[in-house]
Amino acid sequence: MKINDLSLYSKYAFRDLLRSYSKILSIIITLLISLFILSAILTIEDSLENELNENSKVLLGGDLEIDYNNREGDKNLIKQVENISTVSQIVEFSTMISTIEKKQNKTSFTRIKAIDQNYPLYGDVIFEPVGSLKKLNEIDNTILVNENIFKNLNLKINDIVKVQNIKFKVIGVVKVLPDIGGAFVFGDFALTGKKTLDKLELNTLGSFLNYEYKIKFDDYKNKDKKINEIKKIFKNNDKVKIRYPENSAGGIKRIIDNFSQFLSLVSISAMLIAGIGIANTLLSFINQKNSSIAVQKAIGINSGNIKTIYYLQLLISLIFISLVAYGLSFFLVPVVDKYISDGLGLNIQASFSLTNLFIVFMVGLLVIIIFSIPTVNSIDQIKASSLFRNVFQSLQFKYSKLSISLSLLLLTILISLFAFRSSIPTYSLIYFASFFVCLAVFFYVSRFIILLLRNNLFNLGISSKIAIKNITQSKSITPITVMSLGLGMTLLLTLAFVGSNFKREIAKSIPEIAPDYFFLGIQNNQKNLFKKIIIDTDKEAVTEIVPMVSAGLVKINGIDPNTYISNSNDSYWVIMNDRRVSWVNTIPKDNPILEGSWWDTSKPNKLQISLDSKVAKDFGVNIGDKFTLRIYGREIEGEVVNFRLVNYQDLSINFAMLLNPQFAENIPHEYLSTIKFKNIKSFNEVNFLDKFPSVSIIKISDYLSKVTDVLNKVFIAVSIISAVTVIIGLVVISSAIIVQRKIKIFQNLVFKILGFSKKEIIMSSIIEFIISFLSIIFFSTIFAVLASKFIIENIFQLKWLFEINIFFYVTIGVGVATLALIIITNFRYLSPKVYPLVRNE
Amino acid sequence: MNKLLKLSNVSLNYTIDNNSINILKNISFEVDYKETISIVGESGSGKTSLIMLIGGLEKNSAGNIFFKDSEISNMTEDEISEIRRKNIGIVFQSFYLIPNYTALENVSLSLEINKLDNATKKAKEILDRFGLSNRFNNLPSQLSGGEQQRVAIARSVVMKPELILADEPTGNLDSENTENISSLLFNYIKDENASLIMVTHDNNLANLTKRKIIIKDGVISENQ
Ligand SMILES: Nc1ncnc2c1ncn2[C@@H]1O[C@H](COP(=O)(O)OP(=O)(O)OP(=O)(O)O)[C@@H](O)[C@H]1O
Ligand SMILES: [Mg+2]
Repeated sequence: MKINDLSLYSKYAFRDLLRSYSKILSIIITLLISLFILSAILTIEDSLENELNENSKVLLGGDLEIDYNNREGDKNLIKQVENISTVSQIVEFSTMISTIEKKQNKTSFTRIKAIDQNYPLYGDVIFEPVGSLKKLNEIDNTILVNENIFKNLNLKINDIVKVQNIKFKVIGVVKVLPDIGGAFVFGDFALTGKKTLDKLELNTLGSFLNYEYKIKFDDYKNKDKKINEIKKIFKNNDKVKIRYPENSAGGIKRIIDNFSQFLSLVSISAMLIAGIGIANTLLSFINQKNSSIAVQKAIGINSGNIKTIYYLQLLISLIFISLVAYGLSFFLVPVVDKYISDGLGLNIQASFSLTNLFIVFMVGLLVIIIFSIPTVNSIDQIKASSLFRNVFQSLQFKYSKLSISLSLLLLTILISLFAFRSSIPTYSLIYFASFFVCLAVFFYVSRFIILLLRNNLFNLGISSKIAIKNITQSKSITPITVMSLGLGMTLLLTLAFVGSNFKREIAKSIPEIAPDYFFLGIQNNQKNLFKKIIIDTDKEAVTEIVPMVSAGLVKINGIDPNTYISNSNDSYWVIMNDRRVSWVNTIPKDNPILEGSWWDTSKPNKLQISLDSKVAKDFGVNIGDKFTLRIYGREIEGEVVNFRLVNYQDLSINFAMLLNPQFAENIPHEYLSTIKFKNIKSFNEVNFLDKFPSVSIIKISDYLSKVTDVLNKVFIAVSIISAVTVIIGLVVISSAIIVQRKIKIFQNLVFKILGFSKKEIIMSSIIEFIISFLSIIFFSTIFAVLASKFIIENIFQLKWLFEINIFFYVTIGVGVATLALIIITNFRYLSPKVYPLVRNE
Repeated sequence: MNKLLKLSNVSLNYTIDNNSINILKNISFEVDYKETISIVGESGSGKTSLIMLIGGLEKNSAGNIFFKDSEISNMTEDEISEIRRKNIGIVFQSFYLIPNYTALENVSLSLEINKLDNATKKAKEILDRFGLSNRFNNLPSQLSGGEQQRVAIARSVVMKPELILADEPTGNLDSENTENISSLLFNYIKDENASLIMVTHDNNLANLTKRKIIIKDGVISENQ
């Protein structure tokens, strides 16, 4: 086609669209909603990543970090670095903080960051009152606590609190820290001065002090030169890693990636459901244009050119819709910002991305083309000769081998676009496969219902008879209702089942298996006293106490695992930094051995290691491989002798690595304990801390409530987005009803003439709905049960139960909404006027 | 001189439920340039079918149809479209204007499709000539039946086709409008030297044409 032809047809397309867009309003709405969701996901993902990238220095806390694997670094070398740049030294540790002068004293498990006067090198700490941050390093024994501690411990400014037997004065409240370390994301935190920390003499064994050295170049232009100088300083020190801003926040990036990938899948589902509606609405649109198209043909415009005009109309709508959808997504960013900034301390801002706009447009284009090919092709069926006969056959979808293969090709492109952008394409592909299986099943279900009812097996009242007639007639909306609502319901139910099972399992683990408390940092000489005090408090308390030392896995078969195991590996956490390791004589009850054998007691002087079987699989470790552990700076080589099945979810004591006691007992160590009280009220945290000031107490229920809080937020977000698929399904259904408008009015008119009451007609709509809806519920529940069971049992390895409440909420909710919609849409056709029909309008 | 149109032994069959029905049988006649012909006959005799064959809107089952020496009976859909676009104007009994186009847009559509310059100006001229100068921007629903048919005729002649096909052009109109339309149509054909093939039940109208073809049960029974 020539260019000036194209501009002519574009002109027609524009004109037609402007004059009759209301007839394709449902196409516009469904496309707009689904493209809006997609745009929102892309825009928010982009904004988050931009924020992470732009603030990578803030997140890292400097231009560079000298990573001594969280241990204290070589003071001389650090001095050398200080000569060429600004260094901020930070020490982090977890401990208890308690009030001492209240009527009812309370304690809280806290992450404390001891900072020097250079902190923060980048970004801002938000705190109150003015000047209090500076005072931390000017006045000894001062502390800033976060808002949550301030509230929970009922604190006032200048109150005294106790940390490990030392008294601190609370001089203010800190709200936001610029560098969001992992522990700070969900937990409580406090800031104190580095000098105070030195006085605390916390450098005792196993206190898990995390040392961080952040560096800022005074002259950023000479950055590369400075980096080289710093590298030179640590040249002979293989324990030191230099971390750059680019790889800060890798973990968060991964979560964002996975989450947005999942949401994209939901949004593409919404789009495909919208596609079903697009095909249907478009067919009725072209049917209405039947005589105009015949005239165009009579005038001598060929079928291909007429089709071009219709494709152009869709294209123009799509350009408009993509722009609006993409533009609207920017309004969602502040909402999300509000939602996540509490937890992450990130402030996201929307930024325009041509790539994203293009992706949104392309996805919309693919969906439109896939679903409009058989419809627009039906234009071929229109004959100009109809104009002589005054009869216009209603059009059917037209499938040819060519158009089917083209649709399939485009569908494949669309799916690939989504699947291969994701980090785990297999999951996406499984998702799409299930989606199309469901689609096919729902299609055949609708066929089956029609077939079944056509056979007139039932002898029923008049309303039911009308309902059955409506379902079985050739232009029935049953297939569309069943397919679009069925898919939406399946998705919503699946996610609701997954979410509710997940939440139940997490909540359930509190009373049933999980202990009440974790106690960290019990020293060797405190062990017996600790046991005695627990028994004195509650004779029936179940106590588990195990030795513990922190160890870094620095080499596997002589090679640094960080060189070949990437941070996207599921078990990366094992090598990320030091882990707690323990030792036992006998095989732990809930840790069966899958491979290898338990300790070889004939070799007491050799380090033997028992490894979590999942870690072994992820790292490709075999029995007999050599691990080099660094314990207190000393490297010890040991042999992996067996793999255990470890289940971390029960929240009892679990270790990725266990050592043989004969060897490990000689290492200086401390103890870790879990307690499950019979009578939890008999335990007083404050009194306990008086006796064991250096022990940290973690109350599992507090910890879990924080986790469930985060899960709840995620669950809500996911539910809202998946509810969109149901909403789109509803729009598709109501547009299908509107398409039926003429038939409905005519039918109702005939009923009116025959003397049926409105009640009977409404009743027939309700019966029609119930028949379709029951079969939708039946099949979508089967799919949702299968899918959610698979996800819960195989991916999360939790117990799956049929959540009857959730089932009723979702089905009744969607059912009422659909029924209301059907009645409202039909209501307009209930009082047909006779004369327009007679005038053949 | 060559003939404008030539039909030789043309037949048309329709197949319904595997039964072939013979609608038109061995139709042969010729049409000269500037000739006017009326086709008359009983209802169901095959008049409309014949018009459709001539306009290339239906395929003949046997025989040959030549339009200006090119055989249209074995052309593709698109080739026939091309010929119709440039040379043949069609007028229907039920007008068939495009409902969401104004009178002016309905008329200028053909001109634009053929990429003629000043489409709007030419469309206005012809509407003006048909007495519709103050109806340019009315939609078909805002026009009377007679006005609609005048717009429809304007649309069919605006390309100055050599052949105009009309199927009962006045069938939906009252007697006053019938007279109006017929004088307008015949004046135009005389002025512009076009040919006309018109199906009609109206004897007065049929008598205005130079020649009359009577069809009975799918065959030509008289050709005067
Ligand atoms: N698509 C079709 N399939 C089968 N038979 C058809 C079809 N179209 C028309 N016919 C038959 O062909 C015959 C001729 O029809 P046609 O419309 O040409 O008649 P006509 O002379 O124009 O009649 P009228 O004066 O009523 O308009 C009729 O008997 C009609 O029933
Ligand atoms: Mg006829």
